[in-house]
Amino acid sequence: MYRRLLTGLQSATLRLDVGIQRVLPQDFNPLYYTGGLANLFLTVLVVSGILIFLYYEPSLEGAYASVEFLTRDVPYGVVFRGIHRYAADAYMVAILLHLFRNWFTDRYREARDSQWLSGMVLLVFSGLAGFTGYLLVWDERSQMLTSLTVQALRSVPLVGHWLAEVFVGGPGVSDTTLPRFLFLHVGPAMALYVLLWWHYVRLRHPKIWPPAVWVLFGLGLLFILASVLPATSGRPAQPGASPEGFPVDWFYLWPYVLARWMAPGWALALVVALLAYGMVIPYTLRETPEERGLRALGQAVVVDENCTGCELCYYDCPYNAIYMVPSPAPGKSRAAANRKLLAVVVDSRCVECGICIGACPFEALELPRMLDRDVQQRIQRGAQAPAAAAT
Amino acid sequence: MATKTETAQGTPVRVVGFLCDWAVRSEGLLNPDDTLVGMPHVTVIRVPCSGFVKPGWLELALRSGAAGTFVCGCPMGDCLNREGNWIMEDRIDQLRKRLARQKVDPDRIAFFAYGLHDQQAFLDAVQAFVDRLRALGGGKA
Ligand code: HEM
Ligand code: SF4
Ligand code: SF4
Repeated sequence: MYRRLLTGLQSATLRLDVGIQRVLPQDFNPLYYTGGLANLFLTVLVVSGILIFLYYEPSLEGAYASVEFLTRDVPYGVVFRGIHRYAADAYMVAILLHLFRNWFTDRYREARDSQWLSGMVLLVFSGLAGFTGYLLVWDERSQMLTSLTVQALRSVPLVGHWLAEVFVGGPGVSDTTLPRFLFLHVGPAMALYVLLWWHYVRLRHPKIWPPAVWVLFGLGLLFILASVLPATSGRPAQPGASPEGFPVDWFYLWPYVLARWMAPGWALALVVALLAYGMVIPYTLRETPEERGLRALGQAVVVDENCTGCELCYYDCPYNAIYMVPSPAPGKSRAAANRKLLAVVVDSRCVECGICIGACPFEALELPRMLDRDVQQRIQRGAQAPAAAAT
Repeated sequence: MATKTETAQGTPVRVVGFLCDWAVRSEGLLNPDDTLVGMPHVTVIRVPCSGFVKPGWLELALRSGAAGTFVCGCPMGDCLNREGNWIMEDRIDQLRKRLARQKVDPDRIAFFAYGLHDQQAFLDAVQAFVDRLRALGGGKA
């Protein structure tokens, strides 16, 4: 059932591409660059964030006023604030598209699990940075979010009260609260860059930028949105006040909407459960490749005798699965006799694509279940017309 | 149909192609002997990724008597293995230059990029390729 659903989703995803390619050339399909788009918007967030940071004052009395000052009195301040907000939304859209596309097109299993797992952790940190951003303004919305979060954290068994204190920096909201929120906003955002290193470590030449047209289009869109729909604050937070509702940013604040129907603790539990499920997805599907209708050709194997250490496979492997090591002994073939290096395939990274085989000019790499010899025979059979078929 | 795959002289135009498992859906596309439906002179070898194909294999196909040879990968940008089709396109470019120096017409090698749902477009492209080969004349053999 589940498998059928995913097959259907895969087919639909690719059907969508067919539609997009009626309008755009193949390699401009933005869905092929969702990771790059996410990186673009993240970069915009960092740059605009630094500009906002220069004006921000993390204190109960000063925070709201400092954001207002930026919005009203600093030239183009309102544009920067808007860009920061809309880039955050665009970023979330991009990583969700990226997540679903990688999921539906099977780019998350087996040797690709490390990218998926690091991606989920990136998602957690992005969400954290996103919602703490709304706390910093210290308007009525910030106040409500704070109290809902404290309620949710308190209902965690055993460590709940401690978590709530860590969150607001003491038993209740105090002078330490906003500096703490500022850290909870900027800290996870910086951590994203460490996590991105993990995300990219198994990818050769990750495409971290979309085509220039999309970069310009994305930036233009942010400028226009920020100018036409300026980002604003609500009314300033009042100690003791209990505001009725708040404008919702659906990309980051949806769990707080749930709190209208369920205890905040349960909304938190739901979010945690969803993310935990996301992290185990690559390990939940137990079928073998055969059951999924794939030919499992086995991971690439280096033929020690023939490898010359030329490094061509190392440059072409898209998953950084080939390491060049100092050759322990000379190879047997003439070309390999004087080699300095030997190629080694790292099994946990190899996705069985065979790209290295196409790269190797010395017959020193094989996919175990599709040998060079057999392919050559089939080529010759296909190239020589069976006499009967000829006229 | 069969007559369409012959040269003016009546020799059949043999083609050997490589088709990526993740590109065009191969169900209903191949005869039991791995030739294309409606094009019995076109043999298709399915590969795990277009990037798996050794340029040497394309040369082998031409040397063994095929009039032409092609590789079909996923749409550019959508390679399951991220870069297989770009890498293959590059390799084919280089091979064409090398073959041109040996007086082999580079047009005998083609690269296609079609996705799961593009069966018809793929078949049309192969037919067009065969038509071009017919104009060039049969293979070496
Ligand atoms: C901060 C947000 C993220 C950024 C900037 C980002 C960026 C990227 C980039 C640039 C690539 C390389 C694409 C290529 O060159 O083919 C990539 C690959 C990948 N990402 Fe992300 N990503 C992010 C979040 C995520 C999330 C949330 C997930 C899913 C849980 C995810 C899953 C993956 C997977 C599975 C791949 C490997 C795709 C493949 O093997 O072809 N990423 N990411
Ligand atoms: S391409 Fe072949 S010969 Fe060159 S290093 Fe890799 S395995 Fe060895
Ligand atoms: S088959 Fe070769 S190119 Fe593909 S992941 Fe494995 S080592 Fe890398």
